[in-house]
Parts: sequence; C-alpha cells; structure tokens
Amino acid sequence: MSQPKASQNGWFNWMKDRFPESKQITLNIRRIFVIPTKVSLGLLVTLGVLFLMAINFQNSLIYALTFWLLALIVISIFFTYRNLAGVTIKAIQSHACFAGEKAVFEIEVRCPENQKKSAISLGWKDQDVAQVNLQNHHTVRIKLSHDTKKRGLFKPDKISIFTVYPVGLVVAWSYAMLDMESIIYPKPLLQDTAENQQSKSDDAEAGKEIARGSTDFSGIREYQAGDSPKHIHWGAYAKTGKAYTKTFVDYANQELWLDWDSLAITGIELKLSHLSAKILQYHQEQQVYGLKIPGKTIPPATGEAHKTMCLTALALYGQAS
Amino acid sequence: MMWLLVAQLVVMLPLMFFLPIWILPVLLFSAGWRMRVMQGHQEQPKKVLKTIIAGIGIIGLFASGMPMVSLDMMASLLMLGFAYKALEVIEKRDAMVVILTGFLLIGLLFIYSQSILVALYGAFALTILTAALIAIQHDKGAAVSAKPILENLKLSSLMLLLCLPLMLLFFIFAPRFTPLWTLPFSGEGHAKTGISDSMTPGDIANLSQSDALAFTVKFMGEKPNQNQLYWRGLVMQHFDGKTWTQFSDSLSLEASRKKLRTREQFIRNRLVKKGYGREYEVIYEKTARPWLFALTPVVNVKGDAVYGTDYTLMARSNILEPKMLTLTSYPEALRDTTLDEKTRQRALQLPKGGNPQTRALAKRLLAKATSKQDYVNTVMNRFKQQEYYYTLRPALLGDTNTIDEFLINNKKGFCAHYAGSFVFMMRAVGIPARVVTGYQGGKWNKQGQFLSVHQYDAHAWTEVWFKDKGWLRFDPTAMVAPNRIEQSLEHAVGEAGGFLEDQIFSMEKYSWLSELKDKMDSAQYAWRRFVIGYDRDSQSALIKKFFGEQSLQKIAMIVGGFFIAIITLWSLLLRLGQNNQRESEEHQLYRKFCHRLEKHGVSKKLSQSPTVFSQYAASQLPSLANDIIAFTQYYSQLCYNPSEPKNKKENIKVLKRLFNNIKRK
Repeated sequence: MSQPKASQNGWFNWMKDRFPESKQITLNIRRIFVIPTKVSLGLLVTLGVLFLMAINFQNSLIYALTFWLLALIVISIFFTYRNLAGVTIKAIQSHACFAGEKAVFEIEVRCPENQKKSAISLGWKDQDVAQVNLQNHHTVRIKLSHDTKKRGLFKPDKISIFTVYPVGLVVAWSYAMLDMESIIYPKPLLQDTAENQQSKSDDAEAGKEIARGSTDFSGIREYQAGDSPKHIHWGAYAKTGKAYTKTFVDYANQELWLDWDSLAITGIELKLSHLSAKILQYHQEQQVYGLKIPGKTIPPATGEAHKTMCLTALALYGQAS
Repeated sequence: MMWLLVAQLVVMLPLMFFLPIWILPVLLFSAGWRMRVMQGHQEQPKKVLKTIIAGIGIIGLFASGMPMVSLDMMASLLMLGFAYKALEVIEKRDAMVVILTGFLLIGLLFIYSQSILVALYGAFALTILTAALIAIQHDKGAAVSAKPILENLKLSSLMLLLCLPLMLLFFIFAPRFTPLWTLPFSGEGHAKTGISDSMTPGDIANLSQSDALAFTVKFMGEKPNQNQLYWRGLVMQHFDGKTWTQFSDSLSLEASRKKLRTREQFIRNRLVKKGYGREYEVIYEKTARPWLFALTPVVNVKGDAVYGTDYTLMARSNILEPKMLTLTSYPEALRDTTLDEKTRQRALQLPKGGNPQTRALAKRLLAKATSKQDYVNTVMNRFKQQEYYYTLRPALLGDTNTIDEFLINNKKGFCAHYAGSFVFMMRAVGIPARVVTGYQGGKWNKQGQFLSVHQYDAHAWTEVWFKDKGWLRFDPTAMVAPNRIEQSLEHAVGEAGGFLEDQIFSMEKYSWLSELKDKMDSAQYAWRRFVIGYDRDSQSALIKKFFGEQSLQKIAMIVGGFFIAIITLWSLLLRLGQNNQRESEEHQLYRKFCHRLEKHGVSKKLSQSPTVFSQYAASQLPSLANDIIAFTQYYSQLCYNPSEPKNKKENIKVLKRLFNNIKRK
C-alpha cells in the first residue's frame, strides 16, 4: 500500500484534531462552519433589484432598506453560529438490528442551562434527520436511525449537526464523530425447505435416546406390570387378546444444535442468514438450542440473552472483534 | 403559516393608498380561503379556479385605465401576484418567495412616499417579515412546538436593531450612482401637486386650501425680509381671454420644459449683477412637475437643475423624490436691460378684441399719465384707492370679458385676478409685461432656523419691463391686501374666512397645535435634509467634513475600522465567546502526547484508560518507557486529584517538560 500523501495526511489530522472520536463532543468555534444557503442567494438577487430601484429613483429609503437587509445577512452569521455553539452531543446507546433494517442510535443533545437553542437538525447524510429544540428542556434525547446493508459491527459515519435558525440565510454546521457502534445481525433467510427438515432430523438423531420416554413412539412390547394403561396398544389387544404396551422415547435433552458444518449450504453469508432465521424460529418456539460455528460454540440454552448472544456471534463471524 | 398572512397584510395595506383599492379584497379573499384550508374546512383551490381568479385580476388591471408601462401597473401586478400567493402557500419555498417579494414591496412603498411615518411603517413591516422568516424555520414535526409569536417578534426586532450600525455604515459610505437609465414610467401615477403651468383665476385659490409643504429653505446668511420672499416659478406669457399660459399653444410638461431650457451662459449674458448674492439651500417636495422656485435671478446652482429662458429654473425631469439644491441669487440684479423683438412681442400679446371697458380705461389713464412709470404707478394705486377686495372666494366671472367683469364691476378677487388684469392694463397700452406665478413668503421655523413654504403660499404677481432697468416686479395684490405680503395669507384673509376652510382638521387653525407642528416640521426638515436628501454630493461633503480629503485608501480604512468595531460589538452583545472555553492545558498536552506516540506506531484505543495505555505503550517503546509512565502519572494526578492552583501550574510545567523529552527522542 502506498503511503497517503502529506497533504491528505494533513487534512486527516486536521479533521481528527477538530473532530476527535469520543463519546461526547461540544461544538465550539473550532468545530462550527458557517456557509450561506440558497435562500440568501435569493435575497441577494432581491437586494440587487432593490439597489437598482434605489439608484434609478434616487431613493434614500430604498438604499437604507437594501443595506439593512444586507446587514441582516451579515448578522445572521453570528446568530446562527450562536444557535449551534455550546451544543453537546453524546452517544447514549445503540440498538442492534438485522441487516437491511434500520439501526437505531440513541443520542443526547444538550446545551448550557443559561442558553436556548432552536431548530437544530441532526442526522447522517442521506438518512433520517431529526430536529430538536432546546428551550424549556436543556437536555433532549433523540433516536436516530441509519440504514444497514451488511451484517457485522456497524460504525456510523460522522453525524452532521446543522441549523439555519433564526432566519435561514446561512447554515451553521458541524460534525460529531461519536464513538458508538451497533451490531447488525445477518438477515434471517431460510434456505431450501428440504434441507431444513433434513437438518432438523439430523439434529434429532444427534441426541441419545432415553428409553421409556413419553414423547416419541418407538415400538411395542409385551405388557409388563406397571405399564401405564394409557400406553396399552388396544388395537393389538383386540386382535391377539394379548396386552401389548407401546413404547416411547424422549431424546437425551431435547437440545437442538445449529451446526455450521452440518449445513449443506454453500456461501458463508447464506449460511449465516439461514442460521439467523433458525435462531429466530427456535426462539419463537421456545426451544433449547445451541450454536456451533467455526471458532465458537455456544452451548444450548434458551431466552432473550441467549438469542442475542447467538445472533451476535453470527454477526461478528469472521470479523476481528 | 399564519405569520405569512399577517406579514402579507401588513406589507400590502399602505400600498392601498396608492394603488387600485380592489386589490385589497383580492388579498382578503385569498387569505380567507387560506385560513379555511389551514383549519381544514376547505380544500386547496383547484387549478381551474386559480386560473379564473388570476384572469379576473389581470382583466381588472387592464380595465383600471392605468398606463400599460407605468410604475403603478408594475406595482399593481406585483401586488396581485403577492395576494394570489396566499392561495397556494404550502411549502417553505413558497413562503420564502412571499417574504422576498414582501421586501420588494416595502421598497415600492418608499417610491410612493418617503415621509417619516412611512419610513417607520416600513421598519415595522420589515420586522414582521423577518419574524415570519424566523417562524418558517421550524419544521412542523419538530420535537417542541414552534415558539410563541412574541418571541419571534422579539428576536426579529433584536436582529434588526443590531443591524442598524452596519446599515448606517453602508448607507453613509456605499458609493451612490447616478440613474442608470431613464424610467419609462416616471411621473405617471403620481398626483401632480403645486402650481400648474397655466393660470386661470381660481387655480391658486384652490391651492390656498392645501397646507401641504411645497419646499423648505435654509439661508446661509440672514433671512431676507418677508416682503422680499418672492419664490419665482413660472412666467405666463400668453393670454387667451380667460387663461394665462406659458406658450401660445398648449404643450406637454416635457415639451414645454424642452422649449424653455437654455444654457447658463445665456442667462449670465443678459444679466447685470447688482447688490449682493444670497446663498440658500432648498429642498423641494415632489410635485411630478419639473418647476423649481427661487428668488430671482439665480446665478449659481449646486445640484442637478437647468436654467430656463425668462430666468426660471427647472429640474431635469419631473420631481418624484424630494430634491435638494443650493442656490445663489442676486435679487437686485437687472434682467434684460435691452429687449429683443421676439420677447417684446410675446410680452405684448393680447387676444384680439374683448374687454373693451378695460382697454378704454387703460387709454384714458395713459393719456393722463406723465410717463410710463407714472402710468404704472397710477394703475397700481388705483387698486388701493378704489374699493377692491381680496378674497379667496371670488365670484365666477363668466367666459368673455373676464377682465372687465373683475376690474370694472365685481372688484373682488384673488392674486391671480389682480396680476392678470394688471398685465392686461399694461399690454393694452403697449408696455411689455407678464404674469409670474410662484410662492410668496413662507413660515419661519425658529426652532430649526428654516423657512417652510406651503401650497397655501402660492401666489401670482407681475413683471413689467422698463428700458435700462429691465424687468421689475410689481405685485398689485400688495396694494389690496398688504397683509398678504407682509405677513401671510392667514392674516390677509382674517375673519373673512376662506383660509383652509375645506380642511376639517388643520393644525394651522390652532395656536398650540401650531407650536407642536413647528417641532414636527423641524423633525421633518432634518429628515428631508439628512436622510432623504443624502446623495452623492452630501456624501462627499460629509466625508470631507469629518475625515478630510477623500482617498480610496483612507475610506477603506475607515470603513474597515468601523466594520471591525461593529463585529466586535456584536460578539460582545451576543456573548459569542461563552462557549469557547478552550480545552484545559493538561488535556491538550495529553492529546498531543497520544498523537506523538501514534507516530511511533502505538495508538490508544478509546476503551483503554490512560494508565492501561501507558503500560502498553511502555512495553512497546522501552526507550521512552520512563517518560511515558511519568507523564501519565502526572496527567492522571491533574485530572483526578485537582490540587491547589499553585501546584497545578507546577505540575503542568513538569508535564510540558516530560512531553518535550518524549518529542526529542
């Protein structure tokens, strides 16, 4: 790999210096940029017309009006800057999701107690943008969502924070590189149903049978004292006059294993998607299940935490932790 | 969006005084519809309906009879569009268009009037528009509902108020240009006021009913006597038996202005300077006419004006904005000591026939007179000796023999009657004479040391030509009603009434109100003189007065200095510095420290605490190990055990030293 050029490096350092990655960031003069908006261009055109009117009618008051509005553009730089300065953005928590869904990040926006902020927008480029007002409450928590595509550890880009308040003539704008990430689970996608059943029976066979169970029918034998009358094979008794007892087995622990190696699916992502779907299914059915993927084995268990652990393992498969 | 409607109404209301009144119902209708839409009672208007309404409006404009290419037409069109916009303001973008158009309309309002009141109203409208601009910046779905009305108003007022110094800076120093092109719509739509270019007895009597300001005068030296204040305007040469006009054929304002125009040299050549000059500054109110009024003859003009033959003064175009000039007159100078034939013929013109009694009287008086001069005096004195009355309510004189009717039978008249019949008497016996109209006197404002001349000061008098003496002023009205000249119209009319009788409420009628009006007039005068009258000349004069000789560099420095001062003031007032406490020194140093180590290939992870990181870094960089550990220890101590300020300084010094150690290696 070629070394980045000095200038690029300089820019990178400059940005990093101004926008260090951290849990929270306070916007100040080093971090806020102010640029004119389209509206101010429109106003400038209007001012041009007014200026021509002033010249042609030799009208002092129109001159005054023109200059007043010009001054308004200048002062709006200060007001808009002031509306953003002192705002603190803090990462609170992030919520995991499946690839293709929206990852939700909870963010706190606050400003000093003696100040008021209005109409501050936050969001990522091309994503949802939220607007907050900090007036009666100086601390507001908002949830921002971000589209996701790939499973894995998702670290959103820097958040843009901007405001055009009060007059919309200029936009004051800044970045926050918040230290937060969300885990994106593989998109749940069941592969081919036959394969599915096969794998289920595989799973079942993998367990040891416990004789004298009560769940699965395994055969019949002669009646012995103590057998439950419920299990007497009445049909055979009618034919032969002899009492037979139906036998049942329970599987060793009713444990289901989701095993990477036993999946006849090609493609890592497809496999992960399939496993993700199975985990959801078993969780739904309140089954006890375990997960075996290369490098990681999660013993069978049940419950929300277990599900999260399994899905996280899938999400981070093959990625350096 | 409520804000926008209010702003639209506020902007449009004053323009209603100048434009067709039916535009207001259009706005109210559109606004009403919009309100119902907002309350959910009605749907957005359909396209067809919108087209129909717009069509009706445009037809209405054409039907209103305004000239196609005129300021009024353009203003009306803009207003109509502005009103219709209320029907379809939905998006923020539409709202922006409405507000920007609103700014333009305020400018338009200033074209129609530049009075203090209108200026104040303009500032008010600007505040409302800015508040509307603030109101639309909130998203509808914002977490907290939009701010209440009062706060938006407060903020917009604050912003505009803080803008004032910068606005003034621009206003004073921005270069002023001369008009880029002549306006195709100049004059149209402006009511013509003041003295007209013809005189039918009765015209000036009408003016006497108006207490509108005509112009204000500030004398550089002493103010001349009241009875010397003849503000000469137009010279009426032609009489058709009823009306006096400038020329034999009736010409448009533009045409007669062109016909009269002459060079300054032409005037100077015909003038014999006598006495001393008087310099004064005049601010003319707008009249939509080109005529200017001055003590005659004017020999020097500072400002934009042209000379007319007959020693008149004119503006280059019709006066649509208050206009300021500095003039120098020599009231005692002789004008036209010799008379060329053409001028003589014009000064002797009379309609053929008519007024036989007056002609006979003139011949009789001339026969008795010892000289021309004696004849003139006889005619003048006759107005005093006989039972002539000065009245603002003269009887109608019919269409034929109007001079006979007044001079012989009725004997009650206004200045125009006296001036007209006097000139008739002169011309009837071959003495060159002419009627002059203008203003006489004026009201002295002690407080402001200036003279205001009002429309009711309008007057007509005469000029008679004598060999070697040139044109001399004769005012027959002074014979009949000396008060009119010595004091004012108010005194001349006295209890006979007629002074401003049409005005239900005129301040001139009450003395205590008069005093108040004096104060207001002073303010008005200052406004006209320093704000409205601020132009290129005043700009260079002002800069010269305060900053000496102009040079581009110097002005740039001054403006730059003021600009920086204003910005500093803003920053202080808005307390922009409060959020910029810099990171404390130890944190800065620690950041540099991490940055430094990164260059050595050891980077700190966010999750690592400083202590953990220092151990890791020390193991990776054994040569720096001691310094790294020590640095981190001092840093931790500064962060977590805030010690005495004295110690802190010491510790930071140590920190710096350690950092330098690391840097050097």
